[in-house]
Amino acid sequence: QLDHGCALHTAARDGLSSMSSQDVPAERPRAVFHTSESDPAKHTEQHEARLYNIPLEEVKAVFPHGLPHRFQQQIRTFNEARVMVRKPALELLAYLRASNFAHPAVRYVIYGERGTGKTMTLCHVLHYCSRQGWLVLHIPDAHLWVKNCKELLQSSYKKDRLDQPLQASVWLKNFKTSNERFLQEIKTQKKYMWGKQESTEEGRPLGEVVEQGLARVRSATDAMGVVLREIKQQSHRGSFRLLVAVDGVNALWGRTTLRKEDKSPVSPEELTLVHNLRKMLRNDWSGGAIVTTLSQTGSLFKPSSAYTPQELLGKEGFDALDPFVPISVPNYSPREFESCYGYYLERKWLQHEKAHTEDGKAELRFLSGSNPRQLDRLAGPL
Amino acid sequence: MAAGAGRCCRAGLSHGALLSWALPFPVALSQAVLSRTAGGALGTPRWGRAASSSAAAVSGREGPQPREGSVRRRGRTPQFVRSAAPPRTERMAVDQDWSSVYPTAAAFRPASVPLPIRMGYPVKRGVPPPKEGNLELIKIPNFLHLTPPAIKKHCAALKDFCTEWPSALDSDEKCEQHFPIEIETVDYVSSGISIWNPKARVVTLRVKLSNLNLDDHAKKKLIKLVGERYCRETDVLTITTDRCPLRRQNYDYGMHLLTVLYHESWKTEKWESEKSEEDMEEYIWENSHSQKNALDTLLQIKTSENVSNVTKEELLASEVVKNYRNSVIALKNNSETESNMSQYKESVKKLLNIQA
Repeated sequence: QLDHGCALHTAARDGLSSMSSQDVPAERPRAVFHTSESDPAKHTEQHEARLYNIPLEEVKAVFPHGLPHRFQQQIRTFNEARVMVRKPALELLAYLRASNFAHPAVRYVIYGERGTGKTMTLCHVLHYCSRQGWLVLHIPDAHLWVKNCKELLQSSYKKDRLDQPLQASVWLKNFKTSNERFLQEIKTQKKYMWGKQESTEEGRPLGEVVEQGLARVRSATDAMGVVLREIKQQSHRGSFRLLVAVDGVNALWGRTTLRKEDKSPVSPEELTLVHNLRKMLRNDWSGGAIVTTLSQTGSLFKPSSAYTPQELLGKEGFDALDPFVPISVPNYSPREFESCYGYYLERKWLQHEKAHTEDGKAELRFLSGSNPRQLDRLAGPL
Repeated sequence: MAAGAGRCCRAGLSHGALLSWALPFPVALSQAVLSRTAGGALGTPRWGRAASSSAAAVSGREGPQPREGSVRRRGRTPQFVRSAAPPRTERMAVDQDWSSVYPTAAAFRPASVPLPIRMGYPVKRGVPPPKEGNLELIKIPNFLHLTPPAIKKHCAALKDFCTEWPSALDSDEKCEQHFPIEIETVDYVSSGISIWNPKARVVTLRVKLSNLNLDDHAKKKLIKLVGERYCRETDVLTITTDRCPLRRQNYDYGMHLLTVLYHESWKTEKWESEKSEEDMEEYIWENSHSQKNALDTLLQIKTSENVSNVTKEELLASEVVKNYRNSVIALKNNSETESNMSQYKESVKKLLNIQA
């Protein structure tokens, strides 16, 4: 049975959370492809290709902005959030468990072809880290910061940089939702001036900085920069572990579609958000890990067949992230495909009468090429 | 550089060598011949009916009553029509001498070519039109005059004008070893008013760079200087010259170009020291971002473990860093295959001491 009452706040700071694991076979035959193990810390190879449930309150708390759009729709339809346990995620979890937090942060880059489940792998790892009590810095899609920004203000901190107040305030709101308790515990280490009158003194909780950013939208970008800086400086002390999770990290080193008022193109370095995030992704801090995903889907000026790190990151990005551990996410293996198909059948998502037959399953497998996204899109109208 | 022959004297009767003797017969040559032969073979279609069924229709209509005056006449068909003779193809033996049917370049004559060829776009649920009266087949160039027996006869005729191939050069490797530079020139023969053809002044020089005495810097500089004229797969530099009016002048200019390229590539100019990373042909790991990042990371790891006095040279000489270096070079110079990526992954795991 699943422990619905387990909220993040009661989780211990270090070490495993206090959830009891019961691998009791369920009352109704919920089939082989489900597992009742809802704590990612306990996922091992025997749980591979099975779907585990995340309670909906946790989903709201942990992933205010992280899940892919179609998965969110699926959660609303099925009234439950089921994530498949797959090999790349298990591999990453093993590395994270065994990592030495005195060493500089290791960077992991999840790459793969389109629609193979990179973002879901990232979310699985995120869930694990938030269960373990880490401070999670999740940027859901870095591509959103380099395109379609309506307002670009000139930064008051550095003259040649540009602020993006809307994006920064959205992110600050979501950050507040997911990491409430840390905002009270972490204290600022120097005084920050927001304009002429307002300032935040030394020793105030970080929550005040976030409130300042949300209240005064003009200074939201600077507030975000302050938050990142403080967290990075204090992570090596060991009072908390930091996970920096960036989806679509190749946006930070590509081109933007934004233009300044004189119609000259903006390069990513000139955006304050991108600049601060690049500083976070350097491995000159310790006490955590950096997990990133490459994504061609929202990327700008990249061919649709590009999926390898060098192609998407470019020379600059590769040099900046090097040395990183690349983790490849392939299409579904046969077992995983069976699992996903069985889940759709069980939730009565596949209504077509031929879809229940073996031939139908083989046809679905062929048409989707065992690609998770294709299978999802194919199963929709059926 | 051993000097090549002045003209391309590879006129031996070996298989591919004949192609270098391009003796194209201009198609314009035999226009007069065409009209005569076509007129002789097919009487009826010259009278403007290009449809394939015209010959059959006319002969069918007029056939049984060829010369009667009371025949009904349609259109402008003349009163007395010769029946079309059967085409020559029906009387052709299988082992005939084809080079006498098509001794020179000529247009396609359906009655002289005993092949059931069809060409053209078919109508709905039909087949391509047959060869009789098929303009498409006449329009395109054909090589019916260049069958292998015909070429054999050409060679036999030209043999009197050739010298003996040197017996010492009996293999391609020996040819290349003694004569590394190949010169290619083309002679044109046509029947016309003048014997001179402006295309005959083109001279092509081909040489393999492995036969030239070049060191690493010189080879890279030469490749940059010649640009498109170098082929990486076959390591052949091709220089084509046609800027002078005479063939001898073009040949001299080509050899001059080769000499100048060779000597210039050996020199090192002052500004070559400003060669930057973007100009490099291949990835060099030393002094790159990758090396800097790796060393910084390793130094941080060592300080966190309180191991001091580890110098950069020691780190560079260690096994893990060498492994990492090789994997990064493989990744950047060769393409990003699965094996390269997994090799890189393993080397990074060893470098950063990550256990699973």
